[in-house]
Amino acid sequence: MNKYAIETKDLKIYYGRKEIIKGINLRIPKHTIFAIMGPSGCGKSTLLRAFNRLLELNKDARIEGEVLVFGKNIYAHNVNPINVRREIGMVFQYPNPFPHLTIYDNVALGLKLNNLVKNKDEMNKRVRWALEKASLWEEVKDRLWRYPACLSGGQKQRLVIARTLALKPKILLMDEPTANIDPVGTRNIEKLLFELKKDYTIVLVTHKPAQAARTSDYVGFLYLGKIIEVGQTKNVFKKPKNELTKKYVTGILV
Amino acid sequence: MSEYKIRKGKEIAFTISITILTFLGILPLFHIIATVFVNGLPVITKESFTFLTGTFSNGGIGPAIAGTFILIFLSSLIGLPVALLVGVYAYEYPNSIIGKATETLLQIMLEFPTILVGVFAMSIIAIPMGTYSAFAGAFALAIILMPYVAVYTQEAMRQIPFTYREASFGLGLSRIKVIFRVLVPLSKRGILTGVLIGMAKVAGETAPLLFTIGGLYESYPVSVTKPVGAVPLLIYTLVQSPSKGNHRMAWGASLILLLIFLLIFIPIRVSLKEVKL
Repeated sequence: MNKYAIETKDLKIYYGRKEIIKGINLRIPKHTIFAIMGPSGCGKSTLLRAFNRLLELNKDARIEGEVLVFGKNIYAHNVNPINVRREIGMVFQYPNPFPHLTIYDNVALGLKLNNLVKNKDEMNKRVRWALEKASLWEEVKDRLWRYPACLSGGQKQRLVIARTLALKPKILLMDEPTANIDPVGTRNIEKLLFELKKDYTIVLVTHKPAQAARTSDYVGFLYLGKIIEVGQTKNVFKKPKNELTKKYVTGILV
Repeated sequence: MSEYKIRKGKEIAFTISITILTFLGILPLFHIIATVFVNGLPVITKESFTFLTGTFSNGGIGPAIAGTFILIFLSSLIGLPVALLVGVYAYEYPNSIIGKATETLLQIMLEFPTILVGVFAMSIIAIPMGTYSAFAGAFALAIILMPYVAVYTQEAMRQIPFTYREASFGLGLSRIKVIFRVLVPLSKRGILTGVLIGMAKVAGETAPLLFTIGGLYESYPVSVTKPVGAVPLLIYTLVQSPSKGNHRMAWGASLILLLIFLLIFIPIRVSLKEVKL
């Protein structure tokens, strides 16, 4: 069995002619929180979307190199991107529960449309399980049939996490999940990340070095499409080897 | 005078003039509605229910009302499914050649002379069938309804932020499911608005019916392959006749048409309360 959840081999990503990701080799171990940090526009979100083939929604994007998930190249010809995305869930920068669906239906949607549950009873159980996993159950159990508009930003984001968890993915990709969330909501979500780490591998993209330091086990510093430094979080923050990393973690380089 | 007072004075003058201009702009609309009510209401109240249900000889326009509803229903049945698919196509493939062509053609069809649509329906349906029919009229109306609904569908779906699209694909859904099970329901209010506007449009159309439905005012319609009447066509016919009685009937029929139109439009106002994102 492969040691790594995600492994990239000389991954390059282009938008049209422009090279956004310039040859990246990363190894993301299982059951860890791996943070990818870097200033805005360095290609973090683009890189993250290459891990579950969501990047293909953008017609201009072109990918070279390999992305291995549990040892299997997800860009091989016989791989269906739909299955990749089911296995690798995604949480977005802007909390985006579907506004026209109730809280319950938001969690149930993926299960229903993918025909993953047999009956109503199983659905109820799975929805509850997902909401509990996302530590949202207690807050919404009395209003499952209301719309996400009644939730706070942090709650919405946990609903999105529940929606993703319901499909029982193995890896969670998080694209600046707290960028639009207040401090209390941010703390709740970061607490949740520690819980989820036991069962999932989490790749967290953030533009705040402090968040990477608080939450992650490993961290990679991405700058202008290249990984400048990667390692255990405590090492990278205490003894950065690269001058740029030092500047970034101390807040000089933004 | 202080500069503040001058600015304040300018603002008041501007507000007043814009209010007056707005009022002048919408005045004709209220004048039309008022005139139709003033002239039409006495006709309807005098005949009461007979006016709504009776045949023409009995002083009613029942068959025409029935005809109008049949035409709205039939044209929706033909036009809406096509319109939805065309709208979705134009949204999903905006950069393909066919997608671009679709968008341009929809814009042309929106403003296309409706009488030509009537001529077209006559030549490909009424003449081969050898008779005017509800079907021929509904076909012409469906062509008129289609671009409205398609453009509204495309526009409503375009308003959906990209992040919801990503989220849907992120759940491992196929493109068909993303579009028809998530994004279409997500923009259903906008689409519904288009549907209602299209229906309101065809409810009042006259020109495409001139050569297609024939007219039927002495008995209720029984078949879609036989001629039917319609309220706007009846008004057109009545006003052309020299008889004072017919003119009175036309006013009554106008009020009925206005009410049918409003009946369709009120849900639009209600549905415009968009989904909170």
